[in-house]
Amino acid sequence: MKEVKVDPMNTVFARTMEILTYIGLVLMFVPGIIYIVYGNGFVNTEDAIRYWNQSAADFWELTKGVKISGYSWFLNNLYYFDCLSIVGIVLLALAPLASIVVSIFKADAKYKVILVIVTIEFIIAIVRPLFMHVTGH
Amino acid sequence: MDWWFWPLCLFIFTLVIGIIAPISGVGGGVLFVPLTTAFFPFHVDFIRGAGLIMALTSALSSAPQLTKKGLANIRIMAPVVIVSIVTSILGGIVGLWITAAFPEGKYYVTIMLGIVLFIIFVVMLTSKRVEFPEVKKVDSISQKLGIAGAWFEPSLNRVVEYRTTNMAIALPAFAAVGFIAGMFGLGAGWANVPVLNLVMGAPIKVATSTSMMIITVNDAAAAWVYLSRGAVLPIIVIPSVIGITIGARIGARLAVVARPRIVRYVVLAVMLMAAVLDILKGLKGLGYVQLPF
Repeated sequence: MKEVKVDPMNTVFARTMEILTYIGLVLMFVPGIIYIVYGNGFVNTEDAIRYWNQSAADFWELTKGVKISGYSWFLNNLYYFDCLSIVGIVLLALAPLASIVVSIFKADAKYKVILVIVTIEFIIAIVRPLFMHVTGH
Repeated sequence: MDWWFWPLCLFIFTLVIGIIAPISGVGGGVLFVPLTTAFFPFHVDFIRGAGLIMALTSALSSAPQLTKKGLANIRIMAPVVIVSIVTSILGGIVGLWITAAFPEGKYYVTIMLGIVLFIIFVVMLTSKRVEFPEVKKVDSISQKLGIAGAWFEPSLNRVVEYRTTNMAIALPAFAAVGFIAGMFGLGAGWANVPVLNLVMGAPIKVATSTSMMIITVNDAAAAWVYLSRGAVLPIIVIPSVIGITIGARIGARLAVVARPRIVRYVVLAVMLMAAVLDILKGLKGLGYVQLPF
């Protein structure tokens, strides 16, 4: 195959995304499978099945008696496998942000501005729930 | 019924979707959300959460390789996602707000999902693909940003260079697509690809690859909305993602051997059926129609 000179901004983006995706998938799958096979979850499997036809808000009220708004519901319960699996999902959801941040350093002036704006929007997406509501825990 | 029945069903179901998706050229996420809403007992909040994580995982798995080859391009993606990140987050917020604020919100969302699926069906049936569109005049935004790229095309045995245009027309389209993706937990390749290919003039391989890159950013941003509301349940997400990941690998190998058009038409027919079922299910929930099921 002939070599094509790929923009360095794209190359670092791809490398960062690739690494974080691998780690995220392992972190999501391993505890997730253990949870589904052996139980030991913040929400036990019987309760999950009984109430998974309810809205997310009602599901948490009925299973744990809490209103969920924010990330403490899984961050405070990392010794349970289901919450540990969510950490893998969090890493996957952070992978594009991290890739964009790294690519800023290889971008030209115009794209530096654009990528910084995208980064700010992304960070607002992450922290917005923390300011909009108080967690139910 | 044993607790593992539905997760096992979900695994088998997503495995089949994963196999069919590459053969039919229809995205797995687009099939997962409406069909699961129609046939599984989970609330639509959790289905959308799982759909979003599935679409995100699939896009994250393929985008880096496509980017390294020069097929996916940040120069196209970055200006687009400035707009679509905002709308995908808004879509997630509105979708979860409707089901939380109204007792019958679930049914409204199900009806809207059916309507969106019907639109997707029409888009997929009618949209054409242009292998190497000719961009005669580059628009001022694309020119100022220097949007261009190149990749080695094995079928031509040469490096293909490309430019894009019509950024100002494409941005509102991406905004709308971002909202729909966030609200319904759908992957958005069905809409991203025609806009990139037919409106912006990106070659079809660049369009499909850059669409993956856009999905990683949009769906990751919207995923935080679902995570913060507890709408991501591992008992639903894990079997779904494993099923579709394994299925997609099998499907990709089968697609190299044969891609019979009949499979695409069967999948489109199933999509149409799911659209009708979702609308009927929603109308039944609201008490407008009586159904035997």
